[in-house]
This record gives sequence, structure tokens and C-alpha cells, in this order.
Amino acid sequence: MPAIVLDSEKIKDSVKRIMEYGGTGVLKCVQCGACSAVCPGVKAGFPVLCRLLIKKLLEGQFEELVEETSTWGCQACNRCTEVCPQGVRPQEVVFAYRRYQASELAFSSSATTSQMNLFATGHAVFTEAGPLREKVGLPAKAPTSAYDDKAQKEIQTLLTESPMGELGLF
Amino acid sequence: MEKYGLYLGCNIPFKAPDIEQSFRKVFPALGVEVTDLPGAGCCPAWGTAPSFDLTTWCSVSGRNITIAEELCVPIMTGCNSCFGVLSEAKHFIEADPSRKKIVNEKLALINREFKGTSDIYHISHVLHEKVGLEKIKESLTYTLEGLKIAVQPGCHILWPSDVYHVKEKNSFFPTQLKELVEALGASAPHYSRLEACCGMGGMRSTDVEKSLELFKTKLLSIKEEVDPDCIATTCSSCFLQFDMSQKTLKERGEIDFEIPVFYYTQLLALTMGFDPAQVAAISVTPRDALIAEIQSETRKIKEKEHT
Repeated sequence: MPAIVLDSEKIKDSVKRIMEYGGTGVLKCVQCGACSAVCPGVKAGFPVLCRLLIKKLLEGQFEELVEETSTWGCQACNRCTEVCPQGVRPQEVVFAYRRYQASELAFSSSATTSQMNLFATGHAVFTEAGPLREKVGLPAKAPTSAYDDKAQKEIQTLLTESPMGELGLF
Repeated sequence: MEKYGLYLGCNIPFKAPDIEQSFRKVFPALGVEVTDLPGAGCCPAWGTAPSFDLTTWCSVSGRNITIAEELCVPIMTGCNSCFGVLSEAKHFIEADPSRKKIVNEKLALINREFKGTSDIYHISHVLHEKVGLEKIKESLTYTLEGLKIAVQPGCHILWPSDVYHVKEKNSFFPTQLKELVEALGASAPHYSRLEACCGMGGMRSTDVEKSLELFKTKLLSIKEEVDPDCIATTCSSCFLQFDMSQKTLKERGEIDFEIPVFYYTQLLALTMGFDPAQVAAISVTPRDALIAEIQSETRKIKEKEHT
């Protein structure tokens, strides 16, 4: 019984979709593994990143990988991009795949808070820091979107008029 | 005076405003004017728009960049992640005319237009390349001579180097932060895991145990190979990981030491004579003893103090 069935239509579809999401260099990969050698995510033990993720995508496993959490451990550090001899830009492939996973809401529920904060305050991470800022001699209100209604409305417009707006997170 | 727009991000203004204060103190004293970017929001963080849609990422980043463009200033930021997000977004927009068109259609909804006139720098790039090591040396009131410091440049400041204006000669053997620390009089010895990731960022949110494992490897390399008086970083995320996770490891009995942690400009501000209650006031890992040592009479090299 074959372990992997290579279906050329499935492969073509997988490559097309990953490239559309932003992983434009994926076909240049020769599976040398330089990326995995320098990746902190691989070092930390996430099983499907860099070389192996690209291999699976090039074998047509686009939908099968949707529940894989490894992609969310990518730091976007781009050591992979720096060392890749082929110009694949593996980090862009990882993030392209994340965009597919996000469209299927296949991310940790704890990540939802960041999206909601982003919409409400314009910041992914926000805490009321007035007393802390005054303690160090700064004005209580930072000059950011957190205290600027017009800025928040602008950011909200950009988010609602986007694929993020269609997911019902805000 | 050269003027830069200070892009704050999220963690610095809300979790570590003393780091923000250190920027606001040292730069004018070194001849660089700092101006605010009013209404700037999240860069946006890697786990938000960049993980959902490339055009949305470019639009939200683009909006931040247009704030600087309207003020005719380049951007400088102290958060590595923000530096990476903004630099890559600018690169994506400029490399593809059809993407630039779509992004500007989105920005037109909020009466903005991305022109590409504001370049993006990390604050350590401005210090190393625009201010220069000699000027920094001349500005010190106290010296860190005799102190040993382990440096942590972080990840995004180094890679992908092709979209950054300021690069290291060898990004896997970075020297800029080492030179910035040496300019304060301290030594910054190399250690085998200097260019390794500290584990903060997306990894920590996804799997905190893996993050702590990476962090511990890094910390032990620092302790065993350098045994420093403190750690100096130019990344606000690394600062948070180094500052808060030593306590976690200690409580678990995995380490039996604590090393004080500073953002580089906090050390610079202290050596320039600024008030620690403003520039180095917030930390989990205690550093008061070292701060007192840094600003002690025996370390004074100049009578003039900055206020």
C-alpha cells in the first residue's frame, strides 16, 4: 500500500494556492534543508516547518496540513530566507500557509484576543498604562491610536474592508 | 539636527515606558531630534494581519508609514518585530506596482496615500551609523569599564538583510551591538549562542514550554561562557523574555542565578547621567544594585551631567 499518493492535479492546486497566498518562491525549493538547519522553530521541536512543510506542500498536501500547529510557532525571523541558496524565502511560504489556516479559523483561540484588541484599540497588545507612564515621567496617554478615535476608525476601516473582516472576529 | 519619527509599537509604550523614556532622553542629547507619530497603531504584529492577508498587512503598515511621510521624517523603532514588519511591508509595496496600486486603493478609503518617502530604521542603526561610536563615547558621564555584558541583538534586526538599509557584515556574527556596548566602556565577549533566538514572539504564544526551552539554552550559554554583570539587548521582545522568564526558570529550580537585563539605550542613558527612575525603572529581575554601581563616583569621567 503506497504511503503517499502523488496526484499531479492536487500538486498543481497546492502550488497555485500557496503562491496566491504569498509563498511565491515555493517551486524553487530543492529540499537542501539549509532553512531547517537554522530555524529556531525546528530547533525548539515544532515538527512541520521549513523544508518539511515545503515538501508536503509540493506533494499536494495543502488541505491535509490545515490543523498543523507548527506554522504558528514560526518567529518570522527569516534566518531561512537569509541562508536559502535558491531564493525560496521559506518564511513567506510558512506565512502564506498561515493565511490559508486563518481563513479556515484554524488557529489557537488565544490568538483571537490579539485580533480583537487590534480592532478595538489599534494595538494587538494593549494594557492601560497611564500610572506606569506617569511614574517614569511620560504623559499618561501614549501618542498612539489607543487614545485617538480618528486613528482607530481608520484602522477599523482597513480591517473590515479585508479578508479579516469576513471572519467574524470583530 | 536630524529628525526621526519615533514609532513606538505596543510593548514599549504600555509595558516598558522606561525604555521609551530612554529613547526620548538619549537621542536629543546626541543630536537627533525625536518627533511623535500621532495615531500610529500596531505595526501590525506578526500574529495579526501578516498571518491573515498580505494586502491587509501592507495597508495597516502602510498607514503607519504615511503618518511619517506626512511629517517628512524617516521612521525609527526600538521593537525588532515592528522593524521587521514595517520594513518588509514597505518592500512588498514597492517591489510590486500592482500591489502598491491595491494598497493605495485601500488607503484612499481613509484619505491616505503611500508614497515611499520615509525610510525605516532600528534605533540601534541610528545610533551606530548616524550618531556614531565616537559621539557616544564623548557624551558619557560615567564609564562601564570593567563590566562584562552579554549582548542580544535579537532576530528581526538582522534578517532578512536584503530589505534593510543598515546591515551587518555577517548577520550570523553580528558586531554592531557589541561595538555600541564597548563604546560605553564595557566588554562584550562573544558567546556561542549569541545569534540564537530567545524564544519570545509567536513561538511563546503557541507553545510556552518550547519557548522556555530555547530561552534556557540561550541563558545557560550566556552564564557559562560569559558570566556577565548584565545582559544588553536592542529588542523589546527579547527584553521581556529575558526579564520575566528568568524568574519562571528559577521558581522551577532550573536555574539558580539571575542576571540583570537592560535595553541598550537604558545603559546608554544611565552612563549619560540620566535619572534611573525615568529610564530604567521597570523590571522583574532586580537591577538596582548595578544601576547604583554604574552611577557611582568611582565611575565618573566627566562632571557634566545630562538632565
